[in-house]
Amino acid sequence: MSRTAHRLIGPEEPLWAPHHPEADPVSMHTLGFWLYMMSDALIFAALFAAYAVLDHPYNAAGGPQIRDVVHPAGAFIQTIILFTSVFTYSLSMVGLKAGNRAFVIGGLLAAVVFGAAFLGLELRDFARLFAEGATPDRSGLLSIFFVLVAAHGVHMVFGILWMLVMMVQVAVKGFTTAVVTRLLNLRIFWMFQASIWVCIFVFVYLNGAYR
Amino acid sequence: MNPHPADPLDHPDVRNASAVGFVAGYAASVGLMAIALMVTLQHEMSYAGFVIAIAILAGLALLAQALLMFQLNLSGAQRWKTISLLLVVPLFVLSIGLTGWMFHTLYPRTMLDFMQVQGNGM
Repeated sequence: MSRTAHRLIGPEEPLWAPHHPEADPVSMHTLGFWLYMMSDALIFAALFAAYAVLDHPYNAAGGPQIRDVVHPAGAFIQTIILFTSVFTYSLSMVGLKAGNRAFVIGGLLAAVVFGAAFLGLELRDFARLFAEGATPDRSGLLSIFFVLVAAHGVHMVFGILWMLVMMVQVAVKGFTTAVVTRLLNLRIFWMFQASIWVCIFVFVYLNGAYR
Repeated sequence: MNPHPADPLDHPDVRNASAVGFVAGYAASVGLMAIALMVTLQHEMSYAGFVIAIAILAGLALLAQALLMFQLNLSGAQRWKTISLLLVVPLFVLSIGLTGWMFHTLYPRTMLDFMQVQGNGM
């Protein structure tokens, strides 16, 4: 991009780093990752659309209705745990701002623990449903219920693995440009899981329990 | 990644971290979801009213997360993330809403015992 174009955007514009020959690598990578997460949101939109279609008594095929498989109070505990995990990760960003490695690693560790607790409760819920015969192959309704909730759970697993890797990288490499960029991308990824869970909690668990 | 002469900790995405904002975002998210849970457990609204109420609460929780946790705004560092999110949200809502609406109108015309299932309240 020419310097004229930089001036058209404005000298304060950090995305284009007008005083350096190359683009701002941190902004470039975080914006790219943000756009990836927007496409990931549309994957969840497809799953929510499938759920909206299959969430009908007809698609229960004589099996359990959605109100029989969701427990809003239990899901609310999961909600608090997930929000707390995102909150502790956010606090680690305050540590990053201060350049404090121990603070950042501690925040990541707390986020991992709360994230693992969330997954543990989810797996326990799945095990209970399986024991009751409410398996994904029982009906179309249960298929999309398990796929939607498990898709979010798989995201959580990868987020936890990513955090474990970042704890090592922060300890070994410190706050290099690459490490800081990955921490910012992971922040986007982890907070996105809380936003998707809001939709699952409200439109699957609460809406399903109200019928 | 090419080396950059600036300290990455001085980057706007790092500098905008705010403990106060994170605490406010966390409290708002938990509070709004708690209200949604209470509305559900009390079971005093019509179904249509309930859906509108929880949709508003979910929207407020997502807004609180976007503004206070993601720290989205119209500053130079966040502008394009904010714009891309504003462009994706209608796609998200329309793809779900139009699909649901399409099948909602399709079911009564294609499933012979649909009305019976509805009538039984299964």
